[in-house]
Amino acid sequence: MTQKRQITNRSFVLTAILGSMLILAMMTANTIWVSRQAGAATNEAVSVVSSFYLEAMADSRAKTITNLINSNFEEMEKAVAFIEEEKIDSQGELRNAIGKIKSLLGLSRFALVDKDNIVYTQYTTYTGRSRHAFLSEETIKDRIIRTVSLYGSSRQLCLVIPTPELSIMGKPFKACFVQLDIKEIVDLLAFDDQGRTHFALYSKNGGNLSGTELGPIISDRNLFDAIQGIVPENVWKENRANFENEAEGSLSFSVGGTEETLRYVPIPGTGWEIAILIRESVIQDQIRDISERHLEFSRNQVVFTLVSVLLLAIVLLLEIRKFSKDKLEEEKETSRTFRNMANTDSLTGVRNKHAYSEMEAALNQQIQAGEIEKLAVVVGDINGLKRVNDTQGHAAGDQLIKDACALICEYFTHGAVFRVGGDEFVVLLQGKGYDTMTEVISSLNARVEENMKENGVVVSVGYSALTPEDRQLRDVFERADQMMYERKKELKAMGAPARR
Amino acid sequence: MKKYAKILLILITALAVLSCFTACSSAASAAGPDENTPPGKPGAAAEEPESSGADDSVRSAVDFDHELDSYKPLKDRYNFYFTYKTVHPWWDAVALGMEEAQRQYLSEGITVTYEYMAPEGASAEDQTERLLTAAQKDYDVIGVDVADEEIISPLLDRLVEAGKKVMTFSSSDAAEGCKRLAYVGNTHNYQDGADLTEALCEKLGYRGKVAILVGSAGAPCHEDRARGARDTIAKYPDMEIVAVEYDMDSVDLAYELTMQILKDCPELDGIVCCNMSNPVGAARAITEKKSSAVIVGMDHDEEALRYLDDGVIYCLGVQDCFSIGFDTIQVAVKIADGNLAGTVFPEKTNEITTVIYQKDAALMLALLYGDII
Repeated sequence: MTQKRQITNRSFVLTAILGSMLILAMMTANTIWVSRQAGAATNEAVSVVSSFYLEAMADSRAKTITNLINSNFEEMEKAVAFIEEEKIDSQGELRNAIGKIKSLLGLSRFALVDKDNIVYTQYTTYTGRSRHAFLSEETIKDRIIRTVSLYGSSRQLCLVIPTPELSIMGKPFKACFVQLDIKEIVDLLAFDDQGRTHFALYSKNGGNLSGTELGPIISDRNLFDAIQGIVPENVWKENRANFENEAEGSLSFSVGGTEETLRYVPIPGTGWEIAILIRESVIQDQIRDISERHLEFSRNQVVFTLVSVLLLAIVLLLEIRKFSKDKLEEEKETSRTFRNMANTDSLTGVRNKHAYSEMEAALNQQIQAGEIEKLAVVVGDINGLKRVNDTQGHAAGDQLIKDACALICEYFTHGAVFRVGGDEFVVLLQGKGYDTMTEVISSLNARVEENMKENGVVVSVGYSALTPEDRQLRDVFERADQMMYERKKELKAMGAPARR
Repeated sequence: MKKYAKILLILITALAVLSCFTACSSAASAAGPDENTPPGKPGAAAEEPESSGADDSVRSAVDFDHELDSYKPLKDRYNFYFTYKTVHPWWDAVALGMEEAQRQYLSEGITVTYEYMAPEGASAEDQTERLLTAAQKDYDVIGVDVADEEIISPLLDRLVEAGKKVMTFSSSDAAEGCKRLAYVGNTHNYQDGADLTEALCEKLGYRGKVAILVGSAGAPCHEDRARGARDTIAKYPDMEIVAVEYDMDSVDLAYELTMQILKDCPELDGIVCCNMSNPVGAARAITEKKSSAVIVGMDHDEEALRYLDDGVIYCLGVQDCFSIGFDTIQVAVKIADGNLAGTVFPEKTNEITTVIYQKDAALMLALLYGDII
């Protein structure tokens, strides 16, 4: 039975471990598969993502510049209206009015131009035909947007509106203009993405207007000088034509294993193209980061699951062990009960003949081994049992047996009491029971003799102690049995009921 | 122990020597040119340098990095009047230097306002009229780029005698002995003409026929350069001047004159151009006629620089217009405060000219005009 339980436990442990490993292996395989799938999908997604990303960024920034231009034009219209309402009689008053416009409307480098191409600013008045290309036109009919790069000064975007109705100090004025520093526009467009994307403004020939670096390869050089030889000639020509025609487009190239993609869109009215560049590796890195975070999560999940499964297995194992132990204890108890039942006399509750036989066998081994020094056997027999059975019935007989047993047990408190026959008991005495044997038997016999007078239970007892010559318990028993018969006769002589 | 002490002593000595050298070199820099005189040798020529020093030479030809000197203006508002020869990009470059100085004064709480005016064509009469009109108004200083020294110099004397504070600036000073208070600009026009012509002669192997496009008649800078050219050519017996023409600082006129010269002398070997307009006109004509004549000229016109880049023009003498403009405003403020030359400013503030060649053209174009269309 024990063997069977051990096999079950081992099987369970093995099953738990193998099951856990299987689950772990499945989850690991699943994670690897998912990560490989993600890696493959990443490369496909990169070009699509970068294209959308760059297009959105380029469009957004182109709109920012367009809005800036439109906003400045609106402010210039307001400025002209303001000037028209002002009563200006001198150059000083005109300078003050321009100063007010600059501070009120936030127009930088606001200037007015009279019919003689004299330019009036807040601090200077100068002849401007050679300085401002738009003044080469005799009359200005429409708004003008022009890029200016004059003798090493910062590059500027010049916005001009005609002022056909404007007259100051009796002199007709043909236009007003502002000049937006491209550096300030660049600051407006700048965004902090830790150098992952780059932007630059270009003129039609690919010249860099913004002074910003479009990545390490193109840097701040002329775009088409920079990519010549890097991209195929037809691609170079196509993109060059796009710039000339103020069209949008995109371009990818690879240098030294570094893949770069740029997207450019025109900024209406300016002749500019804004280009946004991102290294594909940046997107790949970002997606890889996301994938790795997912992988790490999956790994952690696998570890967590494994640990959970192992913990569960341990808990289950412990539970099973506890259950098995309880079951075993229960079985032992049952076995003990059955054994007790087999070794116990059902009428008296003391051990029976079977128990005595087992004990006898065990003691015989010890006797033969010389391991026992003190051992005595007391044999007791109930007097008059048959007569009670015959005259008063078996119930009375059984009660007599129980009473006799109780009497024996009352006196032999330090001995093992066995009912070995219908009316016969054996008491095995060792230790203290052995030492007090004589006194106990004397007391019992006195009690029996008292009982005889009162018609109580009468038990004849004989006893014998183990001698060195005895080879088995039977030897001691027979001497005690002989003595018991002698006592029985004695009691009979004293008037005790005979057995038969 | 002794050994370590010795090493320590050597190290300390070395550091002390190094410190001395550093201090000496700083002191030398500080004690350099007059504070009103930008660094650089007047008339310095970039003799086709082959090393990376060529870039430095080009970059230092025009100095955009200026700061006001330590002079503390006495007023918080100044109003000036400047007039120059003609509406032309060369003076627009000067204007940018003036505006930079004006901005820097403004940031120090000093408002400088001014007019900066010129006629469409160089004219001493027009200039006279402008100066007389300006004299009627209450300007702190009147500045003039002299269109014709013979006509304008006496006028300037009269204005000074009338109590006006008058200075000259940019390319042309008044005649020697004029009472104007100061001049800021090119003081070596004769040498510029001589240097350019010397380069031309060398290129031609000191043999050939040469034409001179002067510019505006009577304009001191143009006349001085032409004189320098004549004197240089005169040194070489196999060199011959076949034509001297006045283009009046006009590109179109310079073109027409060159076409005529080439018609009269198809075997022309070279042209000396004494202002900023005529190299452009000459180059257009040379290109059109497919002539092999070598052009040397002045200044930084974008078209001229492209011709230089293409090899049509051999070399250009580039003046530092930005510095001229910046220094003009600084000196005007000092004059307005009643200072006289020799105290807080020199009587003539010298500005540099750098001769550049084909190899320098792209960089100069990028520096001055950027790479845009």
